[in-house]
Amino acid sequence: MATIREQGYSHWDGRLIERKRPWWPVTTMGIRLIFRKKNFRLLFAMSFVPAVVYLVGIYVSERVEDFKFMVRGSAQLLKIDPGFFKSYFTLDPLLFMMVMLMVFACAGLVADDLRHNALQLYFARPLRKMDYILGKAAVIAFFILLLTLIPGLVLFIFKLVFAGSFALFRSYPWLPLSVIGDSLLLTVFFVSYTLLLSALSRNRRYVMVMIFAVYLGTDIAFGIMSGIFKSPYFALLSIKANLQQTGAVLFGQRPPHAFPAVLSFGVILAFCLVAAWVLLRRVRGVEVIK
Amino acid sequence: MTAVLEARHLSKWYGNVLGLSDVSLALEPGITGLLGPNGAGKSTFMKLLTGQMKPNLGQALVRGERIWNNIPLFRDIGFCPEADAFYEEISGWEFLTGLVRLHGIGWREAEERAERTLGIVELLADKDRRIRGYSRGMRQRLKFAQAIAHDPGIIILDEPLSGLDPLGKRKVIRLIRDYGREGRTVLVSSHVLPEIEAMTSRVVLIHQGKIFAEGDIPFIRDLIEKHPHQISILCDRPRDLAARFIGEECVLHMSFGPEGRSLLIETFKRDIVFGRLPGILLETGIRVEEITSPDDNLQAVFDYLVGK
Amino acid sequence: MDEGGRINKGWVRKSAGRVLGFFFFLGRRAKKTRVFVLISLLPVLQATIIKTSELSGRAPAGEGLAIFSNFLMIFYLQFFLVILTLFYGTSVASEETEGRTLPFLQTRPLSKPGIVLGKYTAYCLLTSLIILASLLASFLILAGERLGSPAAWEIFLRSAAVLVLGILCYTAFFTFLGVLLKRSLFVGLIFGFGWESVISFFPGSTQRFSIVHYLKSLLPAAPRGRFSFLMFRLEPTRPALALLALVLITAFFLGLAGLLFRWKEYLAED
Repeated sequence: MATIREQGYSHWDGRLIERKRPWWPVTTMGIRLIFRKKNFRLLFAMSFVPAVVYLVGIYVSERVEDFKFMVRGSAQLLKIDPGFFKSYFTLDPLLFMMVMLMVFACAGLVADDLRHNALQLYFARPLRKMDYILGKAAVIAFFILLLTLIPGLVLFIFKLVFAGSFALFRSYPWLPLSVIGDSLLLTVFFVSYTLLLSALSRNRRYVMVMIFAVYLGTDIAFGIMSGIFKSPYFALLSIKANLQQTGAVLFGQRPPHAFPAVLSFGVILAFCLVAAWVLLRRVRGVEVIK
Repeated sequence: MTAVLEARHLSKWYGNVLGLSDVSLALEPGITGLLGPNGAGKSTFMKLLTGQMKPNLGQALVRGERIWNNIPLFRDIGFCPEADAFYEEISGWEFLTGLVRLHGIGWREAEERAERTLGIVELLADKDRRIRGYSRGMRQRLKFAQAIAHDPGIIILDEPLSGLDPLGKRKVIRLIRDYGREGRTVLVSSHVLPEIEAMTSRVVLIHQGKIFAEGDIPFIRDLIEKHPHQISILCDRPRDLAARFIGEECVLHMSFGPEGRSLLIETFKRDIVFGRLPGILLETGIRVEEITSPDDNLQAVFDYLVGK
Repeated sequence: MDEGGRINKGWVRKSAGRVLGFFFFLGRRAKKTRVFVLISLLPVLQATIIKTSELSGRAPAGEGLAIFSNFLMIFYLQFFLVILTLFYGTSVASEETEGRTLPFLQTRPLSKPGIVLGKYTAYCLLTSLIILASLLASFLILAGERLGSPAAWEIFLRSAAVLVLGILCYTAFFTFLGVLLKRSLFVGLIFGFGWESVISFFPGSTQRFSIVHYLKSLLPAAPRGRFSFLMFRLEPTRPALALLALVLITAFFLGLAGLLFRWKEYLAED
């Protein structure tokens, strides 16, 4: 005999279990909300253009004879070595696209919660501060890794496939680690950068402006000061320059600016630590009104 | 008497969603309550009457003139919005004086009015605190204050009692009644009948974007009283309880809940059932776990009235 | 009397005046204004560093004015000005709709174009104060030894005038964007830092389809030297025409913003 099931709403009768990753729902909800924005999908698709261009470059490198007429003077593009990967990871348009993704998609991650007093709702559940921050950080990490780690590994794999040999891997066995390393560095930086600015205000529009302004402004400040003083050390002022400096080192290439790259690592680390400190202070279940 | 606020075949769509459907209403001086469940169209109607939205069809008139972009009419209108939104970084005092000054009132007079109004809503002690630090009730009172500070002849209040404690509600209700007695035109919306009842006897019922009844409170009460009420009693011996109630005239219908653990009584005379219940429980020794009224909400009443 | 069909200029003026007072006050009190003031101190800091280096012999002397005219003006003209006007310009409409405070303005005897004009003026005043204070401080530091020279002050005053014109023009454009679009900030960023930068690489009259072209055409001739990046690839328009173009752009977009704000309905983002 067939069982007749009740089709009404009923309470869950099972035992409530503690999640191993309490921050995971925060992440999945954040990503889903971002993808609901219509224009974001176009921007997101456009941010893969550099990866596609580089993939084509890898293809062309294996078919140099066929494309010789196109690549006169572009020998650099055809040499697939750590420098090729470094040039992708430190590409100005790619870094710019990452910033624009942060502006468009992630500016309101904490700011909107502060504005609508949603932190009380989060912390009224079995969620710690670190879970909340991790959850939000994972949203940003998702997008950054999709633009860095995934294309980086795909480029590496496709080079092996197109070449039909492991020559690249044999020549540079540490290359995948460099890809992972620089992806993680970019991820940690952009997570810190975006969450810091988002936590500093309740106004998402203001955060959007600041994410863009700080990135661009530091670069302009570097340009002005180095133009006057001709000193490479002013590159430490620029977010972009620091990321390019560290990226070059991670791929075993000569850094673009003539100063020890460890200083850039120091600047990025200091920034991340300050961001973490501010975040831990700003994210709390109760608001202190002065 | 000429209508102060008038809607003539007012209709409003939000894309494909119908917000208001062919509403015609004329409001005279005095207090009119706009009663309807959430999503009925109360806020839409008020926004059309206050010129915040343009009707797709029909007209919204204030003192016989179309309100849309008709600036001089706004001198005499005070509106208290439902949304809890302010310029958070200034104090209540700065907020109120600033908004009063937007009416073209001079500094000194604006300050006098602000002080008087903040006194009325009992926010004088907190006037210099930033609005961000205000409690829910204080924010609601400030919203009410900005609607009345410039002494308007027409006051439109969208859920003015929400967020207020019982004492606060009483004070605002008293104020509204005073305004009605002074001959001002007050339109108040709520989804709580007793609140409207306390303010006025004139009520308009709105549901699903349509006005389906208007009249005085007794008329509405009559409609509601004909609506049977449900009482659910979760107890250890529902059948024994049912046996005791079966002979009562006020009981229309009885049934047992799932697994036979509760008794559902349908009655026109809820007060009588509740009056009889304690005595029956004492006599029989029946242990009650829970008593609820599953349909004790305005939505159920409206569904019933609309179905009528 | 404005009966919905005609705009009464008297009401627009009166409304603008009242709104200007309120929002200039609000803007001054806002936390973000304080942050922008802090950012405006960056070029002052840079100017201080440069001057200190000059005085201690670590940088070539006598180039203060050239540095001011070119380097710092890059910061002001192509970055800070755009950021401030983008934020405040789009805020004219967006902050009311997103913050759901629009009913407080709509239900008062204020003309809608007047609201736009009032807020626009308030924010232009605010940004002018922020930028000009910073500009003056930078100038006084960098051109310290030439403060007695009228030519130096002419450079400062012309630069200041160009920045003020830029404020008026950009804020008008971004106000229009803010009234028209929901995602005005993003489009504004693309325009302000994409279009306005890229257009200078286009030859001929293409450059004239940007605001920054006319502003640069009005800048004083930079002292010759190694700092002429600001005028890179510039094919300047005659000053009188450039000024006219800026005034027309400002009037056009501001007028359009007022009309659009009057005609549009704003539904709360519930």
